Parts: sequence; structure tokens; C-alpha cells
Amino acid sequence: MAKWRALFCLAACLYPSALAISTEQFDEELTIRPLPDGKVASTFRFTTLLQGATPRDPQSLGGDDVSQHYTVFPLALGQILREYAVTELHLSLNAGKWRYDRWGLPKELGVGTGAELWAWMGDTEVTSIDKRWKGLRNALAGLFCASLGSLDDLRTTSPVQTFQPEGDLPDWDSPHDVRHASLPSEHVCTENLTPFLKLLPCKSRSGIASLLNPHRLFDADWHGMGVHVLWREKEGVEVRLTFQSVSDPLRSGSRQKQDWSLHSLFGRSIERECPVAHSSRVLVALPQDQSYSITPEPPLVETEWAVFDTTKINMPLNTAMTWAQNFEFPTEFNGAPLTVKRTLRGTSQAYGQLSITVQNRLSSELPVLYLETMPWLVQFYLSTLKASIGGKPHALSNLTYIPAIPHSRPTTFQMLLTIPAKSDLEIVLDVNKAFLLYAEHPPDAQRGWDLPPAILTPLVPIANHSTGQLRIYTPTLLVDLATPDFSMPYNVIIFTCSLIAFLFGNVFNLLTRKFVIIRVGSDKTT
Amino acid sequence: MPSSSSPSHSRLRLFRLPSILLLTLSIYLTTSWTIPTTLALDPSSPPPSPEHNEKAHLLRNFFGGRGKNDDAHGHGSGSGQGDGKVTSTHTNNWAVLVCSSRYWFNYRHMANALGMYRTVKRLGIPDSNIILMLADDAACNTRNKYPGTVYAEPNQHLDLYGENIEVDYRGYEVTVENFIRVLTGRMEESVPRSKRLLSDERSNIFVYMTGHGGNEFLKFQDNEEISAHDIADAFEQMHQKKRYNEIFFMIDTCQANTMYTKFYSPNVLATGSSVLGESSYSHEHDDDIGVAVIDAYTHFVLQFMEGINKTSHTTMQDLFQSYDPVAIKSHPGVRNDLFKRPLDQVRITDFFGGVSQAEVLLDQDGVVIRDAQNLEDVDEESDLGLNDQDEKITNSSSPKSSEEVVEEDSKSSIRRTRRMDEGKQQVGQAEKQGRMRSWSAIGVLVALGWFVHAKQKSSSSSLASRSGGGGKGQKRL
Repeated sequence: MAKWRALFCLAACLYPSALAISTEQFDEELTIRPLPDGKVASTFRFTTLLQGATPRDPQSLGGDDVSQHYTVFPLALGQILREYAVTELHLSLNAGKWRYDRWGLPKELGVGTGAELWAWMGDTEVTSIDKRWKGLRNALAGLFCASLGSLDDLRTTSPVQTFQPEGDLPDWDSPHDVRHASLPSEHVCTENLTPFLKLLPCKSRSGIASLLNPHRLFDADWHGMGVHVLWREKEGVEVRLTFQSVSDPLRSGSRQKQDWSLHSLFGRSIERECPVAHSSRVLVALPQDQSYSITPEPPLVETEWAVFDTTKINMPLNTAMTWAQNFEFPTEFNGAPLTVKRTLRGTSQAYGQLSITVQNRLSSELPVLYLETMPWLVQFYLSTLKASIGGKPHALSNLTYIPAIPHSRPTTFQMLLTIPAKSDLEIVLDVNKAFLLYAEHPPDAQRGWDLPPAILTPLVPIANHSTGQLRIYTPTLLVDLATPDFSMPYNVIIFTCSLIAFLFGNVFNLLTRKFVIIRVGSDKTT
Repeated sequence: MPSSSSPSHSRLRLFRLPSILLLTLSIYLTTSWTIPTTLALDPSSPPPSPEHNEKAHLLRNFFGGRGKNDDAHGHGSGSGQGDGKVTSTHTNNWAVLVCSSRYWFNYRHMANALGMYRTVKRLGIPDSNIILMLADDAACNTRNKYPGTVYAEPNQHLDLYGENIEVDYRGYEVTVENFIRVLTGRMEESVPRSKRLLSDERSNIFVYMTGHGGNEFLKFQDNEEISAHDIADAFEQMHQKKRYNEIFFMIDTCQANTMYTKFYSPNVLATGSSVLGESSYSHEHDDDIGVAVIDAYTHFVLQFMEGINKTSHTTMQDLFQSYDPVAIKSHPGVRNDLFKRPLDQVRITDFFGGVSQAEVLLDQDGVVIRDAQNLEDVDEESDLGLNDQDEKITNSSSPKSSEEVVEEDSKSSIRRTRRMDEGKQQVGQAEKQGRMRSWSAIGVLVALGWFVHAKQKSSSSSLASRSGGGGKGQKRL
């Protein structure tokens, strides 16, 4: 009996420490997919799972947090998540325009041009969501060398329906809310990739991450990186670091073939495996209707995918694919079931017209949620909103409109589009272009302002995309606002000052000077 | 921006401090600086609390043996430590590198700043101590034929952008306001550490600026200007807030030498590329990139720097003598009237280097004390992969003498040995003075910490109120 009691005591002592140590699992995966237009899409995914962990309850923000001891989980990111009690976080930094019609849907959904950040946080009285959102922006700006600090209130919205959490939300007393902001003019370059690589357990020294060569990635037609943090109730906190690129093998050299190899795409091959990786796989999509050869011989083929497990394969791995025939550019693409075209029309610097054309190629009706998070630079005249299909008016429903406040709040405009089978829905809307204050202009004001993409969310599953919610980003727009002659204020100031000085001097003289008559000559005698 | 009382008022308030406290303080300060030093060596004494950072810096200042920056202390006493120990420890060197030009045709300005970035990083300053401001993205510019690279010479031999770069301020963030905020440390609370200049009174700061300028101004983003007065005032604020030990200011722009004419703060060494009325010219043009790739002055400075490694004894004098007006096509200038040390004793690595030094000190019980700051720096470097063979620090668990510190550079090891001996002497003195003395010293130190704290508070508020009448840039703060 005493023995059992001792054992129980021991177990009781060990239990809290066992609870504190959650196991971590790191998986990496590279997916390479030849595209119909001859390009090659690659998607890197590095997933770190902190098993059994939960996001920080914002109610505990005032007090001390539990200590953070990680082995492969990125501490720099973990600290930010705990500091601002973020439940779910998605950051993407992309360059280029994702062409849904040619390339289909991306593996990672966040492909809007520029920077996009959205986060789910629990509300609390200790520190408000908005205060933490600001801190989070700045912290991530510091971590990823990006201008995310500029994602200020001018760009922050809270579109709940489009940005549903990918994971679960903890059942705290306080409600959760989302914050979203995008910065379409943001560049992506090596300085963003450097901190990204530092979050990986093997950095870029071994494993699949060793292929992340900035000189080749930033040469790609499209490239983007993403950081995704989410919580799944049954698993724990998951950090997914992603890098997607679309390279063009036809561009380099005079080859007419779509041939690629890891070395031709990334300038490197996988020299050694990442020792801490739980799984490390290279997946290659195999073409279905063309003759090709792939080296080395894939040890495993799963339906349309060749799978190379870098923990089991001979190193170095330089997967290569060659085609028998020259590449022929297809005359038409039937990639995306849903395409959208958004343009800003009109030559005036004061008014314009926003035109949106959504095309449904499916043979069934498609309900789509359309979201605009427009900065106040462009304001909508909602009364002019017109929707039509082939010239006939069409109804829009479920409109949500939070108008912009000049110099402070962006517009949040959401509507439900119901597009009949195989038809194009056209929407036009008059807009007002803002007249900015002198100091609000950027240094290159004549270039214009980038406007964030609109986002479409199909409410029924399309294109075999079953995992959660789908988001389709339109390309960004560039708006030309009225710009002053920046040297004019100086001219005005100088001119006005001269004028005032002249007038004031004369009046002052008249008022203060005493005019006396001095007789010259015979004064002394009188 | 806090608005508060006038400077004279806050100064008056300082003098209202209990006179006894001041008296004791001055006695302790003037009699012997060794007391705080020995205190730090004494493991029985409580560790300095974080809020008394100022005090900790004072102490560490002694560890480093860098006693010459008395003006930077603002106390005026303790000059006895003086010039006998002019050594460089560079544990805390910082670099602020600014390219203020936007647009692709200013590629060469990006290359200038990145060339300096490469040099300071190569010489050992970690990314965490470098504030790099690039007003435009040359590397991933769509016009760049070689994506992700910036070259400073034709034929693309050396990629300055590399694969490991951290740009702290880029694009629209590079503004006069942000630059002055970085220097003066007046930041919003949520600004991350990587965007701050976290220097202290023991830091040597290298400030490099490049862009288009003119007589006493430098253009930022082709949109706004910083004037020579703005930088001079910012340096003065830094001086009063004890944010530097020495500053080395270098500028490459047209009429660059006018930019440092307004400086009035001590311990600032300045150099520029061209005299008043003279342009600074670009040096080389690359036909593939399609634009000029570097400016002449920076090119020759970098060329000189390439011959320097972390243990180099080359001095600033050597750098300034290497200036060749014919090759540079302008007349570079040097201003050293505010700088106290003779230029032939100021090593290049005093500013460009970040050589970590492990200081093995023995306390009474023979327990090894290592400077935590140094350890931190070593970690930083190993992370960067910069800990080359010239940076090996062996630290055995029971060193019997200072010879345990191994470094290839024999001269510096001798220098260090000497310092070890001094450290031991100080320990001996402390033993004689006894425990009572040291406890009273603790009290004084706490008071000193509070005093410095109060003084800093009041001086910063006085600065805030004074800045209204200052230059253009200060008004922007």
C-alpha cells in the first residue's frame, strides 16, 4: 500500500512537468506541378506542430505567461504569438499576379499581390484587440523586415465572413474577432526570406529548405511566402511556413521543352536531409496526357503524384523531368471555374467607375461572396451600383457596407453574388477619388496608389477544393489621384510672404511713424 | 511628444536634491572609481537592477577600461581613469546605414549603403546592431536583370545583397522623421527592437549616409530634406541621452562636407566626400545593369576597407590619408575638432568592427566572471556564421591566469593581460577597504542610479521643450 502511495506521489509530482513539455513535430514538403502554360509551380510547406499546446488566453495578458521552451518550434514567432495572445495568424507576402485561368487554384490560398495580414484574437478588457493588432503588426514588421507597420487603421478592416478561421477557436468567455489589412505595394525580397529561413529548424542548410535560393526564387514569374499559425483542438498549435513560386523553364535558354530539374529551378539540389524532420517529401505531379521521363525513378507513385522521401532516398536528390516533345502553347485554358476581372475606368482624377466581371464556367448556379476592403482613397457611390447579365439587370443580395471615413477608415463592402450557370455577371459602381492633403502623398505620388485586391469566396465547393473555405483574389488596381505640383507651396509661401511683408511694412510705417515737417535753413532765427 | 517645463526650470529642480546626497556622491566619485568596479566583482553584492541601467553602464565602462568618455557621462569626474587606457573593446558597436534615394537610376546609392553593410558585417557587427535603411528595392526591382542581387562593380563579381540580409527600414519608411527617431530613440512603444538603435554611452556608432544632397542638406526619397542642423541636433540629443561614446559620421553626396559643419557634440568624427560647391561623382557603370553602380568616394573607401580584417590595427589616419582627390574626383574632408583621440590611435575597427572580447576576471574566491554582454555578441556572430578563425575564444572552466584568453592577435592579448592585472589590483584594494565601505557604496550607487535616472528624465523633457526652437527636422518629431 505504501509502495502504491509513493508511486502515486511520484506520478503526481511528475505530472505537471510532463504537461509542460509538449512534443513537437516538424514536417516538410515540396510540391512541384507543371502548369498548362509551360511554367512550373513549386510549393514549399514547413509545418511545425506543437502538440497539446493552446493559444494564450487574452484574459491572462496582464500577468506572467508560462515559460516557452521549444526545440523546433520557432521561438521568435512563438514570443509574438504569446505576447499579443493571437489565436490564429496568416501573413502572406507575394509578388506578381496569380493567374487563376492558367495556373488553376494555388496550393496556398493567400496569393493577393503585396502583403496581407489577418489574425483572429480573443477580446478582453485587459488589452483591446486593436491595441494588440497594432503591436502584432509592428512585431511582425520587425521580424520579417516588411513595412507591415504601415498596415495602420487606414487599412484595417474586420471582414468576418471571408476570413473564417482555418483552425478552431478556443471556447473562452470572450468572443473572438478578426482583423485584416493588406498592403498591395509591398515588395518581397531577400530581406524577407532571410528571417523566414531563420524560423526553420534546419535553416536553409539541409533538407528541402536548402532549395530556397533567393537568387532563383526572386527570378520567378510569381513568388510569395506565407506564415500561418492556427490551433486545432485535437492536435495543438500549428505553424505552417510556405513559399510558392511559379518559374518559367521555357524562358531560360533556347530550349523549346518544358524540362525542369531541381537544379534548374532553384540552382541547387538537396544535399542532405534535415535530421529533425518527422517527414520530408518531394511530390511531383505527373502529366496525364504527355510522354515524359522522371529521374531518379520515384520510389512511390500515389495516383498522379511521384513521391520522393528525402529521409530514405540516396543523396543528393536532383529530381528532373524531361518531355519527349516540344512544348506547344495551348490556345485556350480551362483552368478556373470562376474568373473575375476588375478594372477602374475613367480618365478623371476626381471620379471613376469600378467595373467587375465575374464569370461562372460551371454548369450550376454559383453563390459567391464578394469583398472589397478599399482604402478611403476611393469611395463608392453605392446608389450607382448596377449588376447585369447580358444586359439584363440582376439582383444582388446581402449587402454589407461600412463606408470609409476620410483620412482614417477604409470601406468594407461585401455582397452576395448569385451567378447562374455559364454566364458572366457584370457589376459597375461609380467611385469618387479622394483629394489628398499635401503631406499624405507618398514620395512617388505620380506613380499612383495601389489598391488592394477584392476577394471572392464561393459558398459551395468548386474545383475539388474541399478543405475549408476558398478565397480568390483579383489583381490589384492602380489609382491615379490628383497630385499637386509639389514645389508650388514654396512658391505660394514665398509670394504670400512678400506680399504680406510689403503691405504690413507700409501700414506699420504709416501707423507708427510720426511725420514732422522740418524747415531747412531759417529755423534757428525763428 | 512630451511637453514640459523649460530647461532652466528642470535644472533648478536638480539642484534642489538633498545636498548631503550630492556631497557623499561627489566624495565617492572623486576619491576612487575603483569602488563600483570592485562591487561588480564582488559576488556577494546584489546585481544591478534593470531600472538602474545607467549605473550598470557606468560599471561596465570600467570593465572595458574605456574611461575617456567622461563628457559622455555628464558627471565630469573620474577623469583619472583617462587616456592611459585608450583601448577598444567594440562589444557594443552599432552602424546606421542610410540610402536616402529612391528610383532605379539611383542604384548606385543602394550599392553604396550595401557595400558599407557588407563591410561592417564582415568586420563583425551583427545584424542586430545594424540599422539598414534603403529607400528603394533595387535587388528585386523588375528592372534588375539579376534578381536578388546588387553589384557595386561591373562584371558582377561580388553580390552585395547576398542571401543573408536584414533591411530594417525600406521604401516609404525611409523618412527624415524615422531617421531622427532612430538616432534619438524616440519611438513608439510597439516598434520592434530590430528597428531601434539600442546603443548606450559605451557604444561607438558608425553613421553612413548617401543620396543626393547639396549645401547643408540631403534629400530623402527625392521628396524631403534633412539639414545639417537636424543631424547636429540629433547627435546632441544622443549625447545628452548618453546614447553614444563616439560617433563616426560618413557621408557621400554632393557638397557632403557641409553636412558635418554644424556638429557641436563631443566625440564626433566626421568625413565627407566633397567640399562646398563640389559634386560627388559616380564611379563605374555597368552595361548589363544599365546604370552607374557605385559612387567614387564610397568605392575607394570600400576598396580600402577590403584590406582590413577583424584584428587589423589600421587607423582612421590611414583611411583619411588614403583619400586621393584625383581618383575620387572630389576633395574629401575630415572634421576631428570634436573628437578627442588622435586619429592615428583610432582604429578602423573601433567603429567598423564588432570583435567580441571575453574578459576573464577573477574575484576573491577565484571564480570566473565573464561579461555577459560579450557572450551575447558571440552568440550573435555564430548565428551569422561570422565567427571565423580570428575570433576563437577559449574559456576554460578554471583559468589560473589571464593567459587563458587565447587570441591570435598577440598584441591585443598582451593588452588584455595588463588589464587583468589592473583588475586584480582593484580586487585587492576592495579587500582592504572592507565590507562596511562596500555596503555604503551600494547605498551611494542606488542613490546615483536614482540621480542619473532623474536627471535623464528631466534632461529629456528639457530637450523636448527645447526642440521647438530647433531645426526643421526637430519640428517634425
